[in-house]
Amino acid sequence: MRRSLPLRLLLAVTILFFLLLIGLPFWWVISGSFKLPQEIIAREPTLVPHSFTLQHYAKLLDASAYPTYLLNSLIVGLASSVLTVLLAVPAAYAFFRMEFPFREGMYRAILLAYAFPGVIVLIPIYGLFAQLGLVDNLLALIIVNTTFALPFSIWMMRSFLATIPRDLEEAARMDGAPTPVILRRILVPLILPGIAAVGVFAFISSWTEYLFASVLILSDDKRTVPVGFAGIIGQYQIDWGLLLAGASLAILPVVIIFSLIGRSFVSGLTDGAVK
Amino acid sequence: MKNLTLRGVTKRFGATEAVSQVDLEILAGEMVVFVGPSGCGKSTLLRIIAGLEPVTEGQIEIGGRNVTQAEPVERGLAMVFQSYALYPHMTVAENMGFPLEMQGLAKEEIAARVRATAETLQLQDHLDRKPRALSGGQRQRVAIGRAIVRNPVAFLFDEPLSNLDAELRVQMRLEIARLHRDLKATMIYVTHDQVEAMTLADRIVVLRGGRIEQVGAPLELYDNPANAFVAGFIGSPRMNLIPATAWRDGDRLRIVVPGGEVPFRPAGPMPPDGAAVQLGLRPEHMAVTGGVPLPAICETIERLGAVSYLYARLADGTTVTAQVDHGLAATAIGGQVGLAPDPSKALLFDASGRRIA
Amino acid sequence: MIKRGFLRPRSKKAADPGVGGNGLRRRGLSERKLALLFVTPALGLLALTLLWPLILAVDLSLRDVRFIGKPGAFVGLENYSDVLSEARFWQSGLRSLIWVAGNAVVQTALALAAALVLHQSFPGVQIARIWVLLTWIVPTVVVVIIWRWLLSNSGGMINPLLMQLGLLEAPVGFFSSRQSAMTTLILINSWRWFPFVTLMILAALTRIPGDLDEAARMDGAGAWQRFRRITWPLLQPTLSVLLVVGTLLSFNVFDIIWLTTAGGPSGGTQTLPVLIYETAFKGYELSRAAAISVLTGLLLMGFAIAASRSMTREEGA
Repeated sequence: MRRSLPLRLLLAVTILFFLLLIGLPFWWVISGSFKLPQEIIAREPTLVPHSFTLQHYAKLLDASAYPTYLLNSLIVGLASSVLTVLLAVPAAYAFFRMEFPFREGMYRAILLAYAFPGVIVLIPIYGLFAQLGLVDNLLALIIVNTTFALPFSIWMMRSFLATIPRDLEEAARMDGAPTPVILRRILVPLILPGIAAVGVFAFISSWTEYLFASVLILSDDKRTVPVGFAGIIGQYQIDWGLLLAGASLAILPVVIIFSLIGRSFVSGLTDGAVK
Repeated sequence: MKNLTLRGVTKRFGATEAVSQVDLEILAGEMVVFVGPSGCGKSTLLRIIAGLEPVTEGQIEIGGRNVTQAEPVERGLAMVFQSYALYPHMTVAENMGFPLEMQGLAKEEIAARVRATAETLQLQDHLDRKPRALSGGQRQRVAIGRAIVRNPVAFLFDEPLSNLDAELRVQMRLEIARLHRDLKATMIYVTHDQVEAMTLADRIVVLRGGRIEQVGAPLELYDNPANAFVAGFIGSPRMNLIPATAWRDGDRLRIVVPGGEVPFRPAGPMPPDGAAVQLGLRPEHMAVTGGVPLPAICETIERLGAVSYLYARLADGTTVTAQVDHGLAATAIGGQVGLAPDPSKALLFDASGRRIA
Repeated sequence: MIKRGFLRPRSKKAADPGVGGNGLRRRGLSERKLALLFVTPALGLLALTLLWPLILAVDLSLRDVRFIGKPGAFVGLENYSDVLSEARFWQSGLRSLIWVAGNAVVQTALALAAALVLHQSFPGVQIARIWVLLTWIVPTVVVVIIWRWLLSNSGGMINPLLMQLGLLEAPVGFFSSRQSAMTTLILINSWRWFPFVTLMILAALTRIPGDLDEAARMDGAGAWQRFRRITWPLLQPTLSVLLVVGTLLSFNVFDIIWLTTAGGPSGGTQTLPVLIYETAFKGYELSRAAAISVLTGLLLMGFAIAASRSMTREEGA
């Protein structure tokens, strides 16, 4: 596609802008985590590190239960993501194709769930989970995160289902497939990218969740990364090196996961796209 | 072998009636073609028979058994969709085997039946491929194969040839005709193309606005249309329908058309004097002579190779088509020609389209 | 949906003596049962962990409760009248509005630009699309740390960078004044969230048929005209939905504000969610906090309903 020169220039400048906008902060943080403390707080910051040390990482892994936090976050994230998918897919299909009373009303009501600040349900949920004996239990976080991801996931799933031509379902009905079989054998295989997208969305939401994780989990060995990290901030207020190392480590797992499945996540959203 | 009966079938979408009081009996083994302009309800009717749409009123019976409420699979019908509706993530073999899987047959039997059907359709070399790797014609055969493999009571075709190019369409038409002969199965076929209807059908059902206009064998509809709509719909190029007035002349009629008159012997009751009528004549019954009895201005000549059609305008602006000889000079265009209708082949319709004679 | 349909079978007037007799399924009823089965787990969870706590919160707001676990007497709407008469409620509300508006503008601008860029084909565009999501997948605390460090005066990169570029003469305290803190926070939050919006817009862009753009090029339209007359109008539906959902979500953002400025300096970034948190956990006025929450929720619900009504009206639905 031949673009005019000014357009190409604009494109290149914009690409560069976003590259730097996103990349530079991360570069500074990651490179900073390897710098000696003096260099980190030096008056003239350096783009390329002049020093190299692993002391911050050593201190981090020694002084805190960071690996435990990572493991907990992974467990909660994966479980939330799986649970969200399992609940959202049938629900989305029911809202999309099937007939039942109050269908339209309930569908609209679902998205209204986001109208309420998380804080409003914080106290009642704490009370509720306390009664159920779920406080200080990872299961509580899994439930809460799934709840948060569900409305949007159902909405996304429904738009993916809408991209499947109707006569595929009708052909399957003619072939004698009952509705659950149609969903499982015909629709699900065809919207797999969408399902993956929903799963990733649920995982990321759960990975970054702070508020409920800080309230519902009390013991250190069950903490998730955001809360554990915030704890380190609180403790070591001014040790930037430690904080930068912790930040780098918090970024690492998601970057790894994303470099593996990122492509299908993006294409899942941009191919069978959102309405 | 079972007959399929429709009684008083009506379908309403909100306030609109898509299908109105359809009564039809389809005999076992016959190929019935539903034909009509878009929006006439033919696809809706097919889907009702299939069980994909519920009826608003009426009954459907197969072999005497009431299936009006039954699920599609319980009716024993198989459908070939316009878009083929092949499952993209399954191979040809899996596509064709899916209905058998749903019936709960054993793997070996499924494989055997799929293979047998594939061979009759020349698909045996493609069994492991996915639909996207196949050509349009091959995909269509897979769709047909998926229907055949079920041994259904009847086959339903929803405009199956619309997505094919012209040459492939002719080829597949012959294949479907051959299929009908070989399988001796009941087939209900929906199309908007009256050529397909004429060539494939044992009987044609012409639909308009949700109602049946006429049912009959192709040539029956061609020679003996019940009204002006069927007369104009069946046959290409269209039958000429010339607005005229009828005057009595003893036991005959004089049909006065712009520029002349045509004698007519009615078989039934005489219309009142001066009644407004439409004179129906097929292009092949309209000859071109030197100047008698209908003068017209020639507008265009379409030469199709085996046959040519002359389009002319009468004094009042009505366009008339006549089938003419190859050799008609091109200089005729723009000039006066004389059209000679064959009165013995003429049909008479009243102003609203009903057949008078 | 009308309740009557729940009890009666779907297809009526067809006279069918054969049904039941030869075991034919009635499609209507069994499908309904299956549909409810499909929907109940998800809705059940939402009802349990969302609807029920909301009801409890409303109940809480009608009582006089200070701490968790200590029951309180029923006081009717007293908490509401107290809250509504306090200046800081309205001030927080105003700050929330500024917060939402600022986020909407910055995020939409960034996301639109990024989506348009990522919609083009250039070497590395696939990687770029994944790359841009980086700020979304990172936990908020990390975002907070990153920017607190970058914007700080001991080792932070931003001040020196801006001074080198000639945009600043002296280092700026990004969090020192109320206005600058709010502005800075809006920018940080936008940085963090715009990739997700970018992805949604990009998805919508790929749904616009390519031949519309090509037809416009044949008609001689330049790039800007094509954007303004073809792309932009066709994006409206998606943008509207994103705007509504985005407004709801950004209104309720709590963690990034709390972890960066804790509502300061001197309440300058105390939006409604922050006010609620402080009232509940610092001021030990649980019922008051619940009342503020309910008011906020009602406000947002009203907004969402009004917005979606006007959207469906525009679409002619």
